Amino acid sequence: MTLTRTSPVAASQPEAATRRGKPKRREATAGYVFLTPWLLGLFGITAIPMLISLYLSFTNYDILTPLSEVKWIGLANYRNMFTADPSYWHAVLVTLKFALIATPLKLAAALGVALLLNRERRGTGLFRALFYLPSLLGGSVALAIVWANIFNRAGAFNAVLAIFGIPGRGWATSPEWALETLMVLGIWQFGAPMVIFLAGLKQVPTELYEAAAVDGAGPIRQFFKITLPMLSPVIFFNLVLETIHGFQGFTAAFVVSNGTGGPVDSTLMYTLYLYIRGFGNYEMGYASAMAWVFLIAVGLITVVLFATGRFWVHYSDEDER
Amino acid sequence: MSSTSDSGLSRRQALRLLGGSALAVPLVLAGCGDDSGSGPSASSTQPVELSFFWWGGQARADLTDKALALYTQKHPNVTFKKTWQGNQGYFDKLATLTAGGDAPDIFQIDDNYLTEYASRSVTLDLTPYQKSGKLDTSKFPESLWKYGLVDGKLAGLSFGENTQGLVFNKTLLQSHSLPEPKTGQSWEDHIAWAANVTQVTGTPGTMDPSGSYQAFWVWLRQRGKELYNGKQLGFDESDVTGWFELWKGARDRKATPTADVIHEGNATDITKQLVATGKAGTSWVWVNQMPELKKATKNELGVVAFPGDTKGQWARASMYFSVYRGSKSKDVAVDVINFLANDAAAGAILGTERGLPSNLDIRASVANSTTDQAMKQSISVENDLGKLFGQPPAVPLKGHSKVRTELVKAAENCQFGRATPAASAAAFVTACKAAISA
Repeated sequence: MTLTRTSPVAASQPEAATRRGKPKRREATAGYVFLTPWLLGLFGITAIPMLISLYLSFTNYDILTPLSEVKWIGLANYRNMFTADPSYWHAVLVTLKFALIATPLKLAAALGVALLLNRERRGTGLFRALFYLPSLLGGSVALAIVWANIFNRAGAFNAVLAIFGIPGRGWATSPEWALETLMVLGIWQFGAPMVIFLAGLKQVPTELYEAAAVDGAGPIRQFFKITLPMLSPVIFFNLVLETIHGFQGFTAAFVVSNGTGGPVDSTLMYTLYLYIRGFGNYEMGYASAMAWVFLIAVGLITVVLFATGRFWVHYSDEDER
Repeated sequence: MSSTSDSGLSRRQALRLLGGSALAVPLVLAGCGDDSGSGPSASSTQPVELSFFWWGGQARADLTDKALALYTQKHPNVTFKKTWQGNQGYFDKLATLTAGGDAPDIFQIDDNYLTEYASRSVTLDLTPYQKSGKLDTSKFPESLWKYGLVDGKLAGLSFGENTQGLVFNKTLLQSHSLPEPKTGQSWEDHIAWAANVTQVTGTPGTMDPSGSYQAFWVWLRQRGKELYNGKQLGFDESDVTGWFELWKGARDRKATPTADVIHEGNATDITKQLVATGKAGTSWVWVNQMPELKKATKNELGVVAFPGDTKGQWARASMYFSVYRGSKSKDVAVDVINFLANDAAAGAILGTERGLPSNLDIRASVANSTTDQAMKQSISVENDLGKLFGQPPAVPLKGHSKVRTELVKAAENCQFGRATPAASAAAFVTACKAAISA
């Protein structure tokens, strides 16, 4: 997330530089005054604690011992993580599985529904709101509790299956299906990327479709030759955000598994495992090391996405240069 | 989540959020552990405000409020800043407060965490107060206050006595004219009994306790082993294999529910216990959880000891009150917990809500005066069992919470048929060794 943050000062600086010394300085002061809340937040809540956590990742910090008595243990946390902790790699796998399956499906669902809602019909406004609703509720604890109850043995989902004569099971309580249950919950919250897709679709010039229709291109060909390329910057944006989001999944896994990552570690998402080590076992040094590896890994994945973006993301203003 | 009476929750949530996102950020800038001086004494009239933190429900909050108000009435200079919440997340918050050098003056703690806090000198050593008589444990059963010792120091005042209890669904058994389980029956008899219950009623006879450390511990003690022995594990792989195989046998005989239902019952939330949700005939709990279990079900419940020799069980402190070592008013804080444990009026108010009163005189008077059926039941069971107990073990080691979750995981691995008892036991022992050595 921090990677995409740009300073709002940057844009206004050239303009300010053309003015004379005194007013310029006064303006700069005013600028910083207005920025103070943001700067306080950046340094107080993000940057300084992050640096402290970097330091802690090289220590045996356990929360309960005062910081002054913390011991420097070098790379031991990192070494243990990579070589001596099978649960760590298990958590990595669970998280990769979740992000790699749920993210594309979520984007596909978002794009599909956006295409359906793009045409102006009666009631589209209502449907847009309805489809967006799960995203508003998405991160909430209450929804995760509801989800756990829908997908347990006596839940609503099995009742629906029973109508069709399909025998049910405890979905959220069996190791084979618990993670998939969470994926469905994640995918269901496709409202936010859907709204962005809708906005993107509105930007595609209708002349392109008219021209294509005149040339004899059918709807499917139009979709692949016009809609997808024209929409690629929006797809890219959603892909980056949703990938990061997918890797950070925590609330649902925490609530559905009662904070354990169970059954049998099947929902042990990376951030949940981090939380368990940090707050359950009081190994905050280790948890900090996990957080830093995670930050770097997600950063790398984002960089890779940006690198591939050059090959498939099409910006229409590039053609005009 | 649940109620607190101050704004502390938002901070905890913020921390959890940070811990849960990419940044594990302990907001720890201040150190803690100020040892200098012990502040005003209990008899001075200087105004003192003590922070007091516990987990529990509304009923506990009401009783504690009343008891503390009584203290303030007797010592008008002492007031309390009370915070309470449900069990889930309690120890996150306690840890965070401690990290910020802002631990409550008095806090409730249990044997799962006592060593974690005591071994890092968060708790005040109460031994000098006990020696000087300012903290009176003379009316306590000796084994009970000793269950608050960590490395020879009194880290917490045992507040309430408790023991393992096998709770069964009386209504279910009676409606099918089935016999009730009995204290002292063997594990094999219990499983056979449960298999019969399943066959007759269609409800699985017993919760599978193979992931329950209480049950595993009692079973170990009956075989002359322990969960912990000094700073080591008190059992080996073959013990665990035996334990898992015992319950695999029970599953094969359909004495226990299916694995996904067992998983539901493995939740720490008392209202999810299978005897309360009606998904099994018995649950493995602590006796003092009876009244709370009773609230979650319409059925009549009964309680007996865990199977096997009752010498495997012990008088466990259901919880402790500890004083923060960095407290500015240690003497007053100790005086408060002494009051809560030994004052007759305070004892009458608190009743058995936290377990049987530690002070035997108060226990007797509370037992005579209570009208709550579930409470009466748990007192009489506990008193009966009390005569049959063995010696208490030492308080669990640092890393115990990890051992508990690893046991659930290993047991579920067997229950879901993902690993053999032997393989699961081997993984469990390895994980435990890592947990307690860390």
